[in-house]
Amino acid sequence: MAVFTDTDELHRVMNDLWTSIKNEKEMAAQLLSSRLIVTFHYREPDGRLTVDCSDGQEMVITVGDCNKKPVVEMFMKSSVAHEFWLGKVNVPLALIQGKIVSKGPVNKALALLPAIKPAYGLYPSVIEKNGLKVSIT
Amino acid sequence: MNPFVFHTPTRVYFGEDSASSCGDFLRELGGKKVLMVADAFLEKSGALKPLIESIRESTGSAPILFTDVPSDSDIDCVNNATAIARTNQCDALVAVGGGSVIDTAKVINICLSFGGEVMDYQGLNIIERKVYPLIAVPTTAGTGAEVSFVAMVKDHGEGKKLMFGSRFLAPDVAILDPLMIVSLPAKLTAATGIDAITHGIECYVASGTYSVFTDAICLESLRLLFEFLPQATVDGGNIEARGATLVASCMAGVAFTNSGVGITHALAHAVGAKYATHHGMTNAVFLPHGMRFNLDTVYPRYARIAQFLGFADEENNGDERALASLLVNKVEALLGKLQLPLTLRELGVPEFSDENLAELTDLAAADPAIMFNPREASSDDLTQLLKRAY
Repeated sequence: MAVFTDTDELHRVMNDLWTSIKNEKEMAAQLLSSRLIVTFHYREPDGRLTVDCSDGQEMVITVGDCNKKPVVEMFMKSSVAHEFWLGKVNVPLALIQGKIVSKGPVNKALALLPAIKPAYGLYPSVIEKNGLKVSIT
Repeated sequence: MNPFVFHTPTRVYFGEDSASSCGDFLRELGGKKVLMVADAFLEKSGALKPLIESIRESTGSAPILFTDVPSDSDIDCVNNATAIARTNQCDALVAVGGGSVIDTAKVINICLSFGGEVMDYQGLNIIERKVYPLIAVPTTAGTGAEVSFVAMVKDHGEGKKLMFGSRFLAPDVAILDPLMIVSLPAKLTAATGIDAITHGIECYVASGTYSVFTDAICLESLRLLFEFLPQATVDGGNIEARGATLVASCMAGVAFTNSGVGITHALAHAVGAKYATHHGMTNAVFLPHGMRFNLDTVYPRYARIAQFLGFADEENNGDERALASLLVNKVEALLGKLQLPLTLRELGVPEFSDENLAELTDLAAADPAIMFNPREASSDDLTQLLKRAY
């Protein structure tokens, strides 16, 4: 069974999650210091979310089309994104297996992995809030 | 057993004078017009002649030769070579040289096969289909580039290394000819060999990505290197030793391209990017420090290596911690025997300012190799290791 029933639900969950991250001062500060623009491309269902930290002041989150040119783009199945935010994805293995595709200077995005780890703790409540009937353990 | 993926698309052909069979493989692979990317000194020394002749016989024409590859290859080099290849309608590549030459050929191949600009393909797993045939003939025994899925070239303008990774980038054939490396100087033989040893050790303990396949390959690769690298270094004309190091290096390449490396490589990449130090020698400096950093986390795995290499005796057998420490000591002893630099100072790195140290720490923390390290390294950990290695 798919984790997300459609694009709207996927966008809603990812937008809520990134808004929660934005509201966590320490995490947001580390992401803003990278000044990266990262676009996540999802499939099954399709979706897109862009996180823009380029001005170093405010994290701008855009779901769907975005006119900002990303520095890094990440491509993955929506289910992989879900597993990732539950802390269940071995990122090196997923990259080797081709489950995650990264376009651009991948090192810049990977360097942020430790910074976003605390978001694993935020994700279950985002899932609950949106009423998804999926395992979050 | 953990989930894993193991894949090796490269056909490996080993033997004395095997390089002169290059044309036979090209015939099979379907290449008609070949771009040969090679180290310039190989052309001057005449070492390319058997290859060129073999290619001429099988394709009916001599390859287009491109030898303008700097030791730290960059996108300008890739663009120049790609333009030449396009003008000559090349549809196959042969890379003869060290890691930089082979990596350059891989990136040229992307641009030649798909068009567009180099930067369009930077990243991991973007390339999803076959590129033109590529045959790699390594002239050093260390990088494993002849079988790896990854290529790195520098963007000198931005002062950054660009990474290209896809299983479709791996050469179709790797020709391991010991005659092609007999003239490699002792110091480079030792340094490139230590790069291969670092691949074997780091891959064997990589975080959740190693498998029974990579385990077996790493262990045998390390056995060959510990036995034959000193011989190949002392006596460059020893064909048996040269062949063994060449094969061992290729094996380590197969292993690390499937499972990754670790903190030693991350630190070596950082220092190499800033001070243009030799990759193998920089790995040599960091390897004991990296191993000690990981020891508490992976000592049972280090102990297995030590046992396989025959380091266990009545005193330490069964004591995994003692065996793991012994392995680090044996690595240090090997570095000494090979007369490799043991500190960054010896490598010519200037004393660190606080600013430089912070920059190197950031570079190491952002290096993809660090992801595969079995123990998480904080910025402070990386800074301490840099200081210790100085």
